[in-house]
This record gives sequence, structure tokens and C-alpha cells, in this order.
Amino acid sequence: MAMPAVDGDVRSGPDIDVLWQDVGLELRLEPVKTRIHLHDVAAMLPVIRVLAVRDFKAKFKQSLLGPVWIFLQPLALLAAFLVGFHAVATINTSGLPYVVFVLVALGAWTYFQASLSMGAVSVVTNAQLMQRTACPRLAFPIASLIANLPSLAVPLVAGVTAAAVTGHLSPRVLLLPLGLLWLMAVTAGVVMMTSALNVRYRDLLAVLPLILQVGVFFSPIGYQVSDLPGLARTLIGLNPLAGVMETWRWMVLPIPPPSVGLIATSLAVTIAFVLAGWFIFTRSEPTMADVV
Amino acid sequence: MSATSAIARPGCAGPLAWRDRPIIEAHNLTKVYRLGEHQSLRGTLSALTGRRREHHTLRALDDVSFSIARGECFGMVGTNGSGKSTLLQVISQITPPTAGHAIVRGRVLPLLAVGTGFHPELTGRENVVLFGTVLGFQRRAILERMDDIIDFADIGEHIDTPLKRYSSGMQARLSFAVAMMFPAPISIFDEVLAVTDDEFTSKCLQSIESIIRDGRTAIFVSHDAGLVRRLCTRVMWLEHGEVRLIGPTAEVMDAYHSAHA
Repeated sequence: MAMPAVDGDVRSGPDIDVLWQDVGLELRLEPVKTRIHLHDVAAMLPVIRVLAVRDFKAKFKQSLLGPVWIFLQPLALLAAFLVGFHAVATINTSGLPYVVFVLVALGAWTYFQASLSMGAVSVVTNAQLMQRTACPRLAFPIASLIANLPSLAVPLVAGVTAAAVTGHLSPRVLLLPLGLLWLMAVTAGVVMMTSALNVRYRDLLAVLPLILQVGVFFSPIGYQVSDLPGLARTLIGLNPLAGVMETWRWMVLPIPPPSVGLIATSLAVTIAFVLAGWFIFTRSEPTMADVV
Repeated sequence: MSATSAIARPGCAGPLAWRDRPIIEAHNLTKVYRLGEHQSLRGTLSALTGRRREHHTLRALDDVSFSIARGECFGMVGTNGSGKSTLLQVISQITPPTAGHAIVRGRVLPLLAVGTGFHPELTGRENVVLFGTVLGFQRRAILERMDDIIDFADIGEHIDTPLKRYSSGMQARLSFAVAMMFPAPISIFDEVLAVTDDEFTSKCLQSIESIIRDGRTAIFVSHDAGLVRRLCTRVMWLEHGEVRLIGPTAEVMDAYHSAHA
């Protein structure tokens, strides 16, 4: 076993110096309010990629069924909607099969739910990495947005396929990438906000399950916004996922477009979330390692 | 997360060439931590409304100034809570100072404690890729060195075992192996040799000596006075966040020793 230690053991030579690429580097470390700027995000991509793969793998390590859960979760939700809504009440689906109607919007919820569950605790979970390396902290919440993309893809592909098979696919489906961007923007805003707040206020861990349990009913997954009574119809727009889901459904299925008021409200709330998330995260980032 | 400012200059600029200037300069570095949590709703509310401001603070670093030349092995000693780890976190860009500033002319590879930011659920191999990526290396460069890293750490097939099954000695070997296969312009070793066996420790010491010979810089923190005396050219003694003494190793270590006899 004993390997005689020779000095040549250490990697040396010009390739190493090229690797570090620091000739002329001069970092000035001083008190700052924020250290991240928008243009730094591109440089974080390699770290985000590795963290996302790690988070995806870690999620299913020591789990019997592993990634099968990505299929079981939306399936269980779908069953719940079939029994809880469809079986007891007549829901206006604009003449579409209920399964197709639910599936098309379901992915927005499963993605949001999975990303938020992982993302809200992402900074705290990575405390070790954060306190011992100069790992870019914004990479933690962003990685959870990437790691949970399968939770978006599985129900959405199922929904689009079901629409196509039953002959209800609208050509507007080509616009869907825009709808996906909208969902990711909402999720990014909320995850940046919660992951940063959770560093200082662990109350969030108590609030989060509540938001997720209640949120599923305040999102138009199993019903349409247009069937809500007056006041509720206006207020539900404050849940940006309402705008996302109704837009997705309009993009994939042959139904009339959602109301302009709903879209405008949801878009405004989305922009507010993204700005607030960015502001809160970047402002608290410098001291995260001290507070956590 | 970029540094506050990163100025890339060609080889020669100003009165002193970049390479001849101190690799690390610290000017009056001060770090103040706020202590205590929000313990009750009432406390939180009164703090929010500004009626009662709690000011339990800790001055972890107090006006610390020093400079390290390229090619030095710089030692740091001090009791627990003297500010060593905070200072290393500031230099490694993990936390900004509360006052003062530091200039760092080179990239830093910090080994702060055993198992530097490793993730327990991932295998050794996956952790090496993660750590290397955080340091800014491309996947290809990391994978090229994987065999050397496994050799140096001497952990054989355990490289594919989740890290949570590693002993602390194995974790230390792995992080040290990464540092040695990517010898950085500035390496920081904070008590990483506290858990390794004698054989691996002496291998590490030789490696640190060889990176210094190559003109790289190291900061070495240890409670083992013998190691500090063997490796370091100069030593800084911190006490209660302040510099008590900086100077040649023998001088500082003798003073430190008689103070703690």
C-alpha cells in the first residue's frame, strides 16, 4: 500500500499555470452591498450544470423507485383531480376530455412545486460548500430550476400527446416555448426570494408546505378561471401560475383565449416576483455564509 | 459572483511588475459578526419597529494588516476564535470584510477544514468534478487528472463510494489530492492535516514544500507547532481578531509558545 512519496507527485509545469489563468489578476476585496451582476450569470453556467446534475441524482439516491417518482407524482395528482373535481361536479372544459384538460396544465404545477421544494432550501443545504469555497451562490437556486425540468417535461409531453391523439391539438402549440419561459420566470423569482429569506428566517420552512398545499387549489389546474365567480376571477390573477396555466391551455388546445385582465395581472405579478427575487437574493448574498 | 474588481494587466505595469508585488495585501481588515438569532416574535417585532435595537456583535477581525510575498509559505497561529478562519474566508472571497480591504493577485484554492464542501450523497468521483468545477476548471481537465487524484489520495475503488461512507481521514486525503493535482497560485491549508495518518501527512508536507519550491504561495494554519516550524517562512500570530506578532517563524513561534506554556 505504501507509496513512496516523491516530490514529483505534485502536478507542475506550464499546463497548470495556463489552467489557472491568473497572470495579472488583481482582486480587490472590500465591504460591498452586492457582489453579483446580471452579466456574471453566464460565467456560472458550468457550476450550475454540475449542481443541477448533482441535485437530480441526490434527489433519488437511497430511493427505491428513484426517477419513477417523476411519473408517479403527476399521475397521483391527476387521479386526485379526476375524483375530487370531475367525479363530483360538472366542470366546464370547453368540450375537451377532462384528462387532456388537466394534463396540459398539470406540468406547470408539478414543476413549480418540485423546484420550490428543492430551491427554497438550496442555499441552506449548500451551507458547507458556501462556507468553504467561493462557489457562486446564485447557482444554488438556479440549479434547482434545471434539476426539476423532468417534472415539467413528463406531464407536459403527456398532455400534448394526449391532445394530439384525441385530435385536440392546436397549431398554437408552437408558441409553447414562450409559455415555458413564463413558468420558469415565475419559479425563478419565487425560488430566489425564498432561498435567500430562508437563510435568515427559517419560518419559511413552516410556511412552504402550507403554500404548496393551498396553492394547488388556487391554481386553475382542474377548472377554468372563466368559471369562477366575479371577485375570485379577478383575484386569482395574483397567482401568476393562473396566467401561466390558462395561457398554456390556450396554446395547446382549441379553446378561446384567456381574458386580457388575467394575463396582464399575472404578468405584472411575475415581473414583480422576478425583480424582488433578484433584489433580495443579491442584497443578502454577501453575508449568506455568515448568517446561515 | 465576480470579485469587486478584477483588473487584468499585461506583464509589466506601474513601478513594480505584477509578479513582484505582494500576492496578498491586507489593509486594516475588520470583520464584525452580528450574534444571536431572532429569539421571539416580540423581540423580532420590537427590532423591526426600531424600539429596541439589539447590538450583540463580535469583532472577529480587528484592523488586521499584513502582506504575503509570492512564493512564501505563510503560517498563521492563534487559539480557537482568534480570527484565523474568518481571515481565510475573507481572502477566499467567501465573505466580504466589514471594513478595510485586501488585494489578492492570484487565484486561491482554499482547503478550509476536512472535506471542503463535499456533498455526502455523491461519490468521491462526483465530488471531485464538483469541486474542480467550482474552482473554475473544465470537465475535461478534471477528468484528465482523475487517475492522478485517486493515486495521490490512495483510496482506490472507494472513489465510487458515496462520501458519507468515508472516514474523515479519507475525506482529507481526497481534498488534499485535488489541491495537489491542481496546485494553485495560492493554496490555503486550514487544519487539513489534523486527521490524516503519519504516512499521508509526511507525503502532504513534501508536496507543500514542492509547490513552494515551484514559486507558488501557501497559507498554512495548524495547531501543530512542529508542522508550522517545518514549513513556514513567516508566521502571523492572531489573538482576539488582532495581529499580535508577525515575523520569521522561529521568532513568532517562540513567543507564541512561551505565551501558551
